[in-house]
Amino acid sequence: MKALYGSKRKALTIFALLVTPVLLLRLATAAYPICRTIWLSMTDTHLFDSEHSFVGMENFRLLFTDPAFLMILSFSIVFIIISTILELVFGLLIASLLNCSFKGRFLARTINLIPWVIPTIVAAYAFQWLLDEQFGMFSHWISDIFDVSPAVLNTALGARITLILVNVWKNSSFMAIIFLAGLQGVPEEFYEAARVDGAGLVRRFFTITLPMLMPLMITMGMYFLIWQLANFDLVYGLTRGGPGIATTILPLNVYHEGLIFFKFGYGSAVSVILMLIVSALGLFGMLQFKKWSY
Amino acid sequence: MELLILVRSSKVKLDNRFLFTKRSLLLYLALAVFVLIVLIPFYWLMKAAVSTPDQLVKIPPIYFPEVGLNNFYELAKQIPLGNYIFNSLIFSTSTAIATVFFSFLAAYAFARIKFRGSALVLWALVVTMALPEIATIIPLYKMLGAVGLLDKLSGLIFVMTSALAPFTVWVFVPFIQQVPESMEEAAVIDGAKLWTILWKIFLPICKPAIVTMLIINFVNAWNNLLYPLAFSVTASSKCLSVAITEVFQAQVPWGKPWHLISALGVIMVIPVIILILSSQKAVVKGLTKGAVK
Repeated sequence: MKALYGSKRKALTIFALLVTPVLLLRLATAAYPICRTIWLSMTDTHLFDSEHSFVGMENFRLLFTDPAFLMILSFSIVFIIISTILELVFGLLIASLLNCSFKGRFLARTINLIPWVIPTIVAAYAFQWLLDEQFGMFSHWISDIFDVSPAVLNTALGARITLILVNVWKNSSFMAIIFLAGLQGVPEEFYEAARVDGAGLVRRFFTITLPMLMPLMITMGMYFLIWQLANFDLVYGLTRGGPGIATTILPLNVYHEGLIFFKFGYGSAVSVILMLIVSALGLFGMLQFKKWSY
Repeated sequence: MELLILVRSSKVKLDNRFLFTKRSLLLYLALAVFVLIVLIPFYWLMKAAVSTPDQLVKIPPIYFPEVGLNNFYELAKQIPLGNYIFNSLIFSTSTAIATVFFSFLAAYAFARIKFRGSALVLWALVVTMALPEIATIIPLYKMLGAVGLLDKLSGLIFVMTSALAPFTVWVFVPFIQQVPESMEEAAVIDGAKLWTILWKIFLPICKPAIVTMLIINFVNAWNNLLYPLAFSVTASSKCLSVAITEVFQAQVPWGKPWHLISALGVIMVIPVIILILSSQKAVVKGLTKGAVK
């Protein structure tokens, strides 16, 4: 770098000059708020009380003795795990499908982008409309085929299954885009060599395709687990966390406690738990990735 | 799994002679199912947006209604639609430009100026990508309030730009690293200013990545719900995403005003779809480059 900018000092000055705006932005809206959230989580701050005091771990103790919160926490974990598994499977299926050569492949790949690009809130409402008890198309089918009440979003189990399926619908296409790129990176010679050796399709899939895509699957799996844990828009739009709290996940809980009830301290404690899970997952993911990328 | 195997095999076998073999038939069947599943919600939204309310409440549902634009007029009468569209456009465009501008500067520094600790700074920056937006929403709410940026478009642009910057830097760094250093060496020796180097040499070379990130960041901001929902109070800073949640709150005799919700949904969907589809290749390339390597 000396060669480029003369002295080391000059290079450092230029570095600082260029990097400062982004770092300042992140300090102001990420680093500082994180510290603040951690601090708030140990207070009983409320928007309408001017006085607040340090309460230590009290908020966390309350949270972990609250059956409602434990249900929210466990559903959040179930939600991200089932969603991610299904998205990995469907992502791989769609990618394999779109990797075939057929007429109109370009069009099919383009259509695949639609669920990913449309605003989540719009997708959530579209599905709610499809499931409208009286006039929705899906409700009509459900009552025709199964002869049961079409109000799936009114039952805890129905709402939970619906939420996961809509989430999978929304996100599998992004998974597929990444896997498609991954599939195209697998050298064709590998398959030819395996074919010469007499390996069948199943063997080829399990000995070539899957191992080659494994690092990518781990990365994407981890990324999706973490990222879906922060999923707010879909739950807000599709079920509002209901019926009751059956489909509430952590981000919606933060929103309710913090910005609806203005219990800043309590809501921040939920935020801290969310961040802890994210960090744990991230760490685990990095270790796994090291193991799998050779 | 079975489907996967079939699909893989058809890749090998499929050519015009075999267009109607059992395998290719299955391939097309799978494709048809896939396309239908992807498009049904989209179609149902479009349909509701262009049909009259009384056609929406027919049982069984009407699949091909008479098409009209009345819902859009009615929507514009009920909410300050033009105002919301304007806000969304300003919010998304400014965010995209600001993010790309600042991220590009930072990415150049990370790619070209290496010293002890610079990788650590980059790593720390990229790691904040994993931070859940919602986890910092309470302090951000208080902070924006304290500096008078609550309920302002500038406040929204500020937090959104910051949220999108790490990913943008992450995409730009390898892109800039691919450019040979000799490109700027000569210019530096000739005494060219940093600004000239960035503007005259790197902007043209990195144009594909820049355009891709402008589009992705625009779409991200356009689709964002949480920040406008949390920080916008009045129509002066509300975006379309908040507007749709408000239209959704309304009640009509037959339940929800699905004709208006759908019309607004279509207004939100059309621009992003046109934008993404017209730049499909570039966007996908930009996205997968980092992930697959």
